[in-house]
Amino acid sequence: MNHMVKMWLEQGKVDVFLGYKRVDGHPLPHVFSKDNLADVDELITGPARYPLEKIAAAIISEKPDIKIGLLARDCGQRTLNVLHVWNQLNTDSISVLNVPCCPSNLKEHADCSYLEPEKRGPDKQIHGFDNNMSIDDVESYKPKERFERWMYEFQKCIKCYGCRNICPVCFCKECSLEHHDLIEAKDLPPEVPIFHLVRAVHMAGRCIDCGLCEDACPADIPLRLLYRKVNQVVKDVFDYETGTSTHQPPFSVLGEKVTLELKPLKTVSMDL
Amino acid sequence: MDYKFIPSVCSYCGTGCGVLFQVMDGKLMGTMPLKTHPVNEGKLCIKGWNLHEHVNSGNRLKHPLVRMNGHFRPATWEKAIEFASNRLKEIIGKYGPDSVGVLVSAKITNEENYLAQKFARACIGTNNVDHCARL
Repeated sequence: MNHMVKMWLEQGKVDVFLGYKRVDGHPLPHVFSKDNLADVDELITGPARYPLEKIAAAIISEKPDIKIGLLARDCGQRTLNVLHVWNQLNTDSISVLNVPCCPSNLKEHADCSYLEPEKRGPDKQIHGFDNNMSIDDVESYKPKERFERWMYEFQKCIKCYGCRNICPVCFCKECSLEHHDLIEAKDLPPEVPIFHLVRAVHMAGRCIDCGLCEDACPADIPLRLLYRKVNQVVKDVFDYETGTSTHQPPFSVLGEKVTLELKPLKTVSMDL
Repeated sequence: MDYKFIPSVCSYCGTGCGVLFQVMDGKLMGTMPLKTHPVNEGKLCIKGWNLHEHVNSGNRLKHPLVRMNGHFRPATWEKAIEFASNRLKEIIGKYGPDSVGVLVSAKITNEENYLAQKFARACIGTNNVDHCARL
């Protein structure tokens, strides 16, 4: 891997390479460049995950001509796809070095932080959701109880905006969660559960299920589960695969053409 | 292009969360939580997430200001300290040392906090010392 990155930098295939390097014991994201090739020997793949694609997009927005190489797990590749279909990133200027992540017999060096889900405390089990629950398990609760459990989870929110800040596919210049026309400087952020539902709606057809939001949430809200649900609706109703489709999701509201198109065939359940 | 990630500690409160600054060509572009930091384990509050904004803010105070006739005017450090010490002496002389209180902050270091309480007790002569984390 290190040899390949060195080669890319030397041959000018990439100007910089985004990977990880251990600094004072912390695995930190690091920008490797041709000026310091010896540095590349210290390139590591994990175990911490940072939104490298978001960082790459930020660099490209400042320096449009730069060619960037980066490490990408499966979630990272889905991110690059979403950023590409939303015209946030030209994949021509990105070279990807794949690294394994998901737990599988086929992938030996799996080191994703989701390999060992944390155990949840008793209070969360009684009143909320286990973050690793399946959507079916969540839906086995009666609507009233399900609503109460979601509200239990949402009311813990401290409005740090961390889920939005870390999200690799949150790229809007103006965010409706803090736009000054909607929320004046003196006002409090949107109420529970509006805050979470605004984000959930925006994640439909965009969330690539990387779980960075849940990782960054100080209140341990099962955000990944919530966004999985909205994405499942997008899949069921519009037959849209987020992260692998080559076109924008049906919710694209830019431009003059309405792109919403229902999935053909049988009736589908819209029960949320 | 020079892009660096600088690990640091959040300066907002006494908790000491680990943060990672994104610096591009010498300019602070963003703040992320330090994922492997033992204090915050990759989480931050809204203040920590926005550390870069106060560094780059146009409202940031970069020079000492002295209030004259209700308006703040830029001054040198010598002038500002002289002004403050004269006023403190005047107030202590007139009303006694307990008319002064010293508020310290989690944004400064342990050593600076120690110096501030020492200044209050030894120089001014009051035990009126408090800390922003207690307010």
